[in-house]
Order: sequence, then structure tokens, then C-alpha cells
Amino acid sequence: MLCLAPASSCACPLTLLEQIFSTLAEYGRLTLQTLAQHMGVAPRRLRHAIGLLLEQQLVLRYAPEDGSPGFYSVDWRNAYGIVRQDNIIDLVKDRHGEGAGKLVGNILQLGSACVGDLVRAVENTKAPNHISETNGNSHEPSHPSYFADITTVSQVHAALRVLLRSGLVVKVTSRSYVAPTDLQEELEDIVKNAQFPDGKISGPKKQAEFKAAVNNLKRQWREADSYSDAKDLASRGSGVGPNKRLKLNGALTNGHAYGAESDDSGPRLSNELIVRVNHSRCALALRSQRLQQLAKRVLGPVTAAVYGALLRALESKCRNVRDDEIYETEEDEEAAQPIANVGEVAEILDPTIDLTSSIKGLGADENLANGAGKKRKKDRDDYADIGIKREDQSDSDGDQRSRGLTSYRDRSKRLTHIQAHLCILEEHFYTFCSRVRAHGGQNEWRVNFPTVTQKVILAELDTTISARFGKVSLRIVRMLREKGRLDEKQLSSRVMMRIKEVRSILTQLQFHGYMEAQELPKDNSRQPSRTIFLWFIDDARIQSSILQQTYKAMTRTIQRIEFERKEFQPVIAKADRSDVKNQEQNKLEMAEKQMLRDWREREERLWSQVSRMDDIVALLRDFSKKDVSLLS
Amino acid sequence: MSLSDAGEKLYQELLKTTNASPEGLKKVFFQEDLAAFASDAAGSVAELMSLVAELSQAMLFRTSKLGGRLCWSIRPQSAAKAIKALNADEQTVYTYVEEAHEKGIWIKDVKKRTNINPTVVQKAMAKLESSRLVKSVKNVRNPAQKTYILFHLSPSEDVTGGSFFDAGDLDESLIEELSNLIIFHVRQQSWVDQKSKRPRRDLTPLSDDDEDDDHRHRTNAVHGKKRKLGASQHDTIDIEDSIPAPSRSALLHKEIQNDPVTAIVYPAYTRTYPTTASIHNFITTTDAIRATKAETLTVSEIQDIINVLVWDDKLEQVGTGGYRTVRGVNFRPPGFPTDEPEGEDGEGWAGNALTQAPCGRCPVFDLCHDSGPINAGSCTYFSEWLGDSLD
Repeated sequence: MLCLAPASSCACPLTLLEQIFSTLAEYGRLTLQTLAQHMGVAPRRLRHAIGLLLEQQLVLRYAPEDGSPGFYSVDWRNAYGIVRQDNIIDLVKDRHGEGAGKLVGNILQLGSACVGDLVRAVENTKAPNHISETNGNSHEPSHPSYFADITTVSQVHAALRVLLRSGLVVKVTSRSYVAPTDLQEELEDIVKNAQFPDGKISGPKKQAEFKAAVNNLKRQWREADSYSDAKDLASRGSGVGPNKRLKLNGALTNGHAYGAESDDSGPRLSNELIVRVNHSRCALALRSQRLQQLAKRVLGPVTAAVYGALLRALESKCRNVRDDEIYETEEDEEAAQPIANVGEVAEILDPTIDLTSSIKGLGADENLANGAGKKRKKDRDDYADIGIKREDQSDSDGDQRSRGLTSYRDRSKRLTHIQAHLCILEEHFYTFCSRVRAHGGQNEWRVNFPTVTQKVILAELDTTISARFGKVSLRIVRMLREKGRLDEKQLSSRVMMRIKEVRSILTQLQFHGYMEAQELPKDNSRQPSRTIFLWFIDDARIQSSILQQTYKAMTRTIQRIEFERKEFQPVIAKADRSDVKNQEQNKLEMAEKQMLRDWREREERLWSQVSRMDDIVALLRDFSKKDVSLLS
Repeated sequence: MSLSDAGEKLYQELLKTTNASPEGLKKVFFQEDLAAFASDAAGSVAELMSLVAELSQAMLFRTSKLGGRLCWSIRPQSAAKAIKALNADEQTVYTYVEEAHEKGIWIKDVKKRTNINPTVVQKAMAKLESSRLVKSVKNVRNPAQKTYILFHLSPSEDVTGGSFFDAGDLDESLIEELSNLIIFHVRQQSWVDQKSKRPRRDLTPLSDDDEDDDHRHRTNAVHGKKRKLGASQHDTIDIEDSIPAPSRSALLHKEIQNDPVTAIVYPAYTRTYPTTASIHNFITTTDAIRATKAETLTVSEIQDIINVLVWDDKLEQVGTGGYRTVRGVNFRPPGFPTDEPEGEDGEGWAGNALTQAPCGRCPVFDLCHDSGPINAGSCTYFSEWLGDSLD
């Protein structure tokens, strides 16, 4: 239902596509023939449309090798991804700069795109852009061009390489169009045929061998499908070696490193390479964002920034949010989480943030250790007050020999400060991260993602409950979460409220499905008066009900956009006319301009609300391993 | 009826011991104890038995069973005199009430256990009450049940509900005062206040900024949020005109600067945060609350309040047993309104995207259907949310 709305809004003018999608959504897997039958359209006409849907990554295809007809099915996850577009673009902009965000936006709009097309898009926009800049919009001198900071072909390649390496964008191969369950079956068939000719895989020993073989082949496939600099570069520039690492770092910290290599000597990707956005990788990145937000709320922005850096350092080492491994115990699972050391965190962390001012004692410590002149000390304090560490110019005019020492000392001091922040994160009740002691090193850290994620989810449920039913209800809910099942009297004494008030809240919460009462009759008569009612809450249930409500709310919001569009249709149509376009200021009347502005404001507001609700969906559905409703 | 010398002497000895012991009148004596006390007067068991019988007859002894053995405790002489004036039924009723000690006994239980005609029990109880031998108390757990205890006893905490109950009713203002006091104390102990991070010569001066006034500060934060919302709306008015977004680090710096919370944290693992015991100590030694009340507060009662504060997101646990206030939570000076008002129009709501969207607050959410009478197009809540004037 929800997936239909965005899919239809994206494929809006192409009603045939919409029909195909909704038919597939309704009936499940279909062959081309049956699909045509259901729709009452000739299969010949469908072929092209289905091709488009495949290209947009909205439909999956399964073609058996023996020549029997292929099956098509809906790719729910990618279809949902359409509403997440804005969030993903924002994420990429935040990390890799404005230009990369635009690039990803392009890829998202097309579903999948080949590098050649993306490059051409940049080349094409360059020319008209200059014209429009000279023509109109004179009131905005710094009008952003289409690719704000990507204007040359080599910059596109560089940006794409960064994205590919981060995993946010992946290569599209023939296997990308096949549903994962089909892939798994195909894999098992291949292994069976090649290594187990007798077809026996049932014994305990054989089964283990078989699984190992399947995983092995899967890994091979994954490696073949994943991007690597060595395989996928069509041409190589001169300095790939040490230069590359430097570029990567630059891009990570400020995202404006493309300008640096404006010469056309950078390595290039093959123009035939097809890329798409990797939604599960994006979920991973969004999760980091979300955790950082929580840290900010409870421990302040500076510590949160350190946490964000740690999360990003870990991200590159994580596989997807859900990996295939199944762990026996929680300890095993925790032990399997990736590890990052403080040095890596320091590399990612914005160097201009003052780490000392937000922890008691750190700043003073530094001043003592510095032993610098009085004036400088004062200077630094001033800036520490506003939370920015001044970039020390006085260092640069010091003599060259001592500078090496200073920078070394600065670095180690910085690492100590980062550690202090990480300790605070560890100390907190949420245990945002924990020090790894098993490896002997003092400065290696890991985050136990499953437990922290669960805590964030609970916090989100709490926010919803408190916003809907008030703080007092939240108190009761949290109390029950901690204590389990309680009857009215115990309950009211623990939350320190009158029993009558508690009763009305309980009933309200039960009515809305947030709370349950278990009946415990004292005797066989089962009279209500002779029955104890134990109240309890079921978080998993609340979570899924809030998720469903969010889906519905998102659908309604998207539908409302369509409704609003119809309301404003005349003026939108006029603004879209070729003679008016780009000259709205001159050609439209005052009232029309006002209407247009009004419409854009509404659209923006509704879409941003959808994006924000997507944050909830991402949290409740994608970040935890438990929900498998959209596993694909 | 006067007692024999030996009996009188034993009684006086026991009375002394009883008064000295912390259990008071609940102090029981077994046969060996009695024998020890009366060793010179009653050498043999038979002699002791006659002494006990004499005292029991005089109502100065109360017989009960503890751990399968008979034991005795004494009554004050005044009570004994009053009891002797009662008839048999009344005496039985009295012994039951006496046995219940500070817990008190529900009159229905008395009726059930004594096997006496209920109306007789009722009458007997009335008589006992009028002769000031028993009194009725209100049981917080079961306010409807008529509960009796001996007149000179004060009911136990189980019955009164502890310090937070005033005459059987929840003393909400006391709980609130204590909560506030605890927050104040823990806040002082767990965060370091620093001067506002916003420098004097800042680019974005807020005229009503006053860092000393925590409450004002909080409302400030709310205003700031609203202002930001307004600004972002303004930005969207003309999309083409939007200026390029400031870089990430600039945003971060701005965020750090405008952080309304001025408190900074102590380094990890270096600080002992207030524990329940230390908070209890603070509460009982400060003169912020009435001395008589402070005396009765127990550590576990303070723990109860702390638990509630944790559930209310005011305090959080650090390490084992330590507490600190949640970041941004501040002490509310007495006399200020209880909490930030939850916006009447729903604007001031915290909450998340779902509860802020019209659908998240929609009263007819479950009825909303594509082709139903209520759908996304006809929805008035959406119109309201989008700022249409309803006509």
C-alpha cells in the first residue's frame, strides 16, 4: 500500500508502469504471460515497460536457465527506498559534499545509471547553466549550479569512486536483478551439482561441508560484484598509490576535495559501469546518524561528534545491518562487532572542534601542560568558551625544529581527549560504546550495535507514548517495562500516584493497544471481583503497531501531496509552460506567484514530513535485525 | 484482686525488661526466660506454672505461640484493669486486635476468626472503641476495610502507606517537593556549570538571554526551536533562491555554540555520583523539609522517588548505584509552574515525526480509508496543519 503510492508518484506519467507494479504487488510472482493476462494487455507491450521497471530497480527478475519463462516480482525494499531518497541525499551531502549528493540524487532518480550517462549529464548541464546565470535570477549572485562543486568529468569520477568505496553506491550486475531467495537456490544448485554429485547433503558432516561450500561461493560472488579500484578502473592516472589515501581522507573530513584534482589526470571508471544506490548500506549510515543524535541529546554535541566519528570508523568495517551470521549467545554477537582504534576516530573527527571545553578538567589540564605565554593562554580560553579551537597561527612562525615535536605532542593530547569522550560514552547508562580489553590495547573501541539499537528503539517508543498520552503514562510504561507484570495496587504505589488516576491511564493505554492485562482468577468462579489483573506491556507489539501507523501516515501524507497538486493544477501547469519556465518572475502575475510559492511550500512541508517519518521506519524496521518484513 | 508477692515481683521484672527492649510490648518470654526471672520464687516447674496462671488470670499476661512453643508477653496494668471489666466476647475480640499489633486487623477477619455472632462482634468493638482500648485506622491498601489497632499503638507503615501518605491520602505536594529537592541536589553534584558558551560579541544575540535563570533558559530553547522552524519554512518559500547549505563543520560549530545546556560533564570514571544513601542523607539533614517528616523518611522511600524520577527521564543511573540528572534537566525554583505546559494547540509537543504529523494525532485514524468518507483529500486536519483557514 505504502509502496504503491511513491511508486506511482515516481512513475506518474507512465501509467502502464504503475499498473504493472500494482498488479505484481497484488499477485506476487508472475510470468510475463500471466501478468499480461491479469492486466489485459499484450505481452509485447509489456516488455519495454518491464525493462524500465527493472532499470529503476523496482522489479526483480528470475530467469531459469532451462529456457522456461522467467518470473517477475516486486522489489519491496527498493520501492520503499523511493520515499527515503531525500534522506539518503542529505546523508551523502553531509558526508561527501554537495556535489556527491546531487550525483546520488541523479542515480536515485534513475534507479540505476551507467557512469557514461552520469558524466554526460555533467557535461550537458555545464553549458546551459552559464546561460541561465547570465539571463535571469540576477538577485541571487551565488546561484548554485547543478553540480555545486562537481563541474569537470574527472570530479565525477573521483566522487563516484569515493561513493563506491564507501559502499553507498554499488555496481549493478546481472545478479542484482534476482531476488535473494532465488539467488540462494541457484547457489545451492550450483554447489550441489559441482561438489556433491550424489545429491546427498543430509548427514551432519556433509551438511557442514555443504554450508561451507555455499558460503564460499557466495563470498566469491560477493567479491566479484563488489567494487574494487583494481578491477573497475578503465584508465589509471599517474599517482594512484600514496595519493589515493590522502584524497580519501580529505573527502571524508570536509567533502570538498574534488576541486583539488581538477586536472584530468585522475583515474577513471569505465563508462559502461552501471551503478545503483545500496539501500542496506544507507541504512547502516542512517543508523550511525541516529545513534549520534541520541548521544547528542544525552551527552551534548561535542561528545556526540566524537561518537559520530567512531561510528563512521566502524561503519566501513561493518557488513550490512543484518548479516548472515547467527550467534549462539549475546556475548558472541558482541564479540563479533567490529573494532576501531582511537587513531582512526581522530582521522575522521573534524579537527576544528574543541574537545576540551565540554569536559570538566580537560581544558585546564591542557593549559598547564602547554606552559605557553600568558597572552596565548588567555587567547585560547576565549575561544574555548565558544567551543571552537582557534587554529593556532603562532605555531607556524615558531622554528621548524620544534614544530615536529609540537605536532606529535598535539596529536597524542588529542587522542587522550578523544579517549576521554569515549569513556564518557561508555560510562553512560546506554553504554554507547565499550573498550575492548581482550586485545590488550587500551585504545580500541567497539559498539554493541544490537543492544544500543534496541535502546534507541525503546526511546523512540517512549517519545511516541509520551507525546500521545503524556508524561505520566510514560512513567507507568517504563515502570512496567522494568518490573514486569503488576496489579493495580502495586503499580500505583510504585509510580506514587492515586489508584484512581492510574486506573484511568491504564484503561486508556489498553484501549489504544499499548498495554495488556492478564486475568488471574482467584477461584473457579472467575468473577471479575475475584480476579487479579496483572498489567504488562509488550514492546515488540507496540513497535510493530507504531510502524504500521507510520506507514499509514506516510501513505496519507503522500496522497495529500497529490491532492494538493490537483488543487494548484492551473498555476503549476502555467509555470511549467515552456515560455514561462525559468522566467517566473517576469511572466507570472502577483497572485500566481503567490500561489506557486504556496504550493511549493506545501509540497516541501509534506515531503519533509514524509522523510522524517521515514526516520522512524528506518529505526523501527531496518536497524534492528528482528523485523524481517521487508527482507530482500 | 491483688497479686501474690512473687507474682508482683515477676511482673515488675518483666515490665522492666519489656520497657528496656526495643520490641516494647511485643517482647515475648519463653518458659526458660520466665524460669530465669523467677528462679528464687519458683524453683520447680509446677510453681512457675501457678505463677503464670495467676498473672494470666489477672490479664497481665498474654499467651501466644511462637515457633510452635508457648510464650507469654505482658500487658500494662491499666490495660489489664480495663480488660477485666469486659465480658468474655469483648475479651476475645480484644485479644485478636492485640495480636495484630501495629498491622491492625480488619473487622471482618475478627468476625471470621472468633466465630462469634457478627453483630456481637460489632457491638463489642464499639464498646472497646468507646472505652478507648482500640481505635480504627484507615488502611491505604484497602481504604474500604475497617481496620482496628490497640489505642496506644501507632499504625505501621504498611497501614499508613509510609511517609508519603497523609491520613491515608497520597501527599502529592510532598512527593513533588522532594523530587525537586533531589533533582537540585543531584544536579549540583553531577554536572559542572560553566558560563554560557555564547560569547558576548556573538553574531546572533538573543535579547532575552539570561544564563542565570535556568527556567528562562529552557523556554528559550523552545523558542529557538520554533524560530528555526519558522526560518526553515521561510527558506522553502522560494526553492530556487535557497542559498547553498553551510558546510558540515560550520553547522556543527554553530550547534555547539547555541547549545542551550551550559552544564559540562565530569570525566568518566573519576566521580562518585550521589547514591540513594547520600541523597537520603542530604534530604534528612537539610532543613528544607519539616523535621518530623524528615525523621520518618527511610532510604527505601527515597529510592522510590528516585525510581520515579528515572522513569520520568529526570535522573539516569551512572555506574552502580550512582545517579546524575539527565542532560538539560534543571532544578525548578519553588514557585514556578510545575512543568513546561504541554502546548494547548499541540505546538509545544516534543514527540517525533509521527506524533507531529496530522495522522499521528488523528482521532479518526482507524476510520481513514482510501475510498471512505474520510481520506487524505478530505482531511481537515491536514488542512489545518498546512495552515489553511477553516471556513
